[in-house]
Amino acid sequence: MNEEKEVEEQSKPLVLEKLEANHADTLLAQDESRGTVVVVVRKEQAYAVLEYLKTDPELAYTYLVDVTAVDNSQMESELIQFDYARFMVIYQLYSYQGQCRVRVKVPVHENDLSISSVTGLWRAANWLERETYDMFGIHFEGHPDLRRILMPDDFEGHPLRKDYPLQGRGERERFNFDKQNV
Amino acid sequence: MGLDFGPDTGTDGNIITTTIDKVVNWGRKNSLWPMPFGTACCAIEMMATLASKFDLSRFGSEAIRFSPRQSDLLIVSGRISIKMMPVLKRIYDQMPDPKWVISMGACASCGGVFDTYTLIQGVDQFIPVDVYIPGCPPRPEDLIDAVLQVQQKIASGASPKGVEAIL
Repeated sequence: MNEEKEVEEQSKPLVLEKLEANHADTLLAQDESRGTVVVVVRKEQAYAVLEYLKTDPELAYTYLVDVTAVDNSQMESELIQFDYARFMVIYQLYSYQGQCRVRVKVPVHENDLSISSVTGLWRAANWLERETYDMFGIHFEGHPDLRRILMPDDFEGHPLRKDYPLQGRGERERFNFDKQNV
Repeated sequence: MGLDFGPDTGTDGNIITTTIDKVVNWGRKNSLWPMPFGTACCAIEMMATLASKFDLSRFGSEAIRFSPRQSDLLIVSGRISIKMMPVLKRIYDQMPDPKWVISMGACASCGGVFDTYTLIQGVDQFIPVDVYIPGCPPRPEDLIDAVLQVQQKIASGASPKGVEAIL
C-alpha cells in the first residue's frame, strides 16, 4: 500500500499519461481517490476508452471489478459539473499486471439512458449490467440478455433511483400470487 | 396422552381409557418433522439448535426434511423478499395437513429493521403463523421454546392456524 503511494507521488500515474496522450478529447475530468485514479469520460467514447484500458499492453486492465451507477439528481454540485447528467455509470477496473485500479465514470442523461454494453470486453459485465439496469434503468446497448436480475420480472420502476420511495409503492403489501408463475 | 384410569372394575388399574384424537395428537406432538426455510442469520441459530449443543432431538423434532411433502412444521427463519414470497407460499401449500408454522425472528414476523420496498413486512400476511419468536436473531433456547409451544398446542387439540382460517 505504502509503496504504491510513493510511486504515485513521484510521477503521474501511467494510466493518466496514456489517456491524456491518446484520448484527451474524451476526458471530462480526472481525480484521485484513496490511491485510485478516477476519470470521467464522454458517453460516446466510453467503449473506446474502456477497450483501450483493457487491450493496451502496458495498462492491461483485464479485470472488471464492478459496474454500477449513481443517481445524482440530488447532488447539485455534480449536476452542474457534468451538464446536468442525472446518472453516472461507473466502471471499476483492476490491472493484475500493474497491480493498480482505475475508476471510469460516464455521465448519462435522463432523456437518453442508453450506453454501450461492455459484455464484449469483459464477460463479467453481463450480470453487473443487468443489476445496473434493474436498479437504475440504464439501457446497455448490445447486451445479450438485458433482464432484471434482483427484482421480480414484473416489478415496475427502478428502486435505487432517488425518486423511488424507500418503503416502496405498496408492492410489498398487495402481492398477486396468481400472477407469479411458480 | 390424556389418560384416564377407568372406573373401578376390579382390574387393578390394568385398563385405561382415552380417545383416538388424544392418542393421535400425542404421536404428532412428539414427532414433528420441521421444514427449515432459512434465509438469513436466524438460520444460523436454527442450525445451532439442531446441532449437538442444543440438540432439538431431545424434543422429538430432529428429523429435518428438506422436502415440504415430508414435513409438518415450517420454520421461517429470516428475511422474506417479495421475490421469495411465492416460493415460501408454494412450499407451505405443498406441506400435507395438519401443518404448523413458526415465524422465527423479527424479520419473518414484521420485517425487522428492513422497512424497505423489497421486504415482506411479516409473513403472516400471506401464510398463517402459529408461533412467533421475537429476537434478532433469537437464541436457540427461544426456538426450542417455540417448538414446545407448538407441541402444547397440538396436545391441547387446537387446530393449526391454517385450518382455523379455512373453518
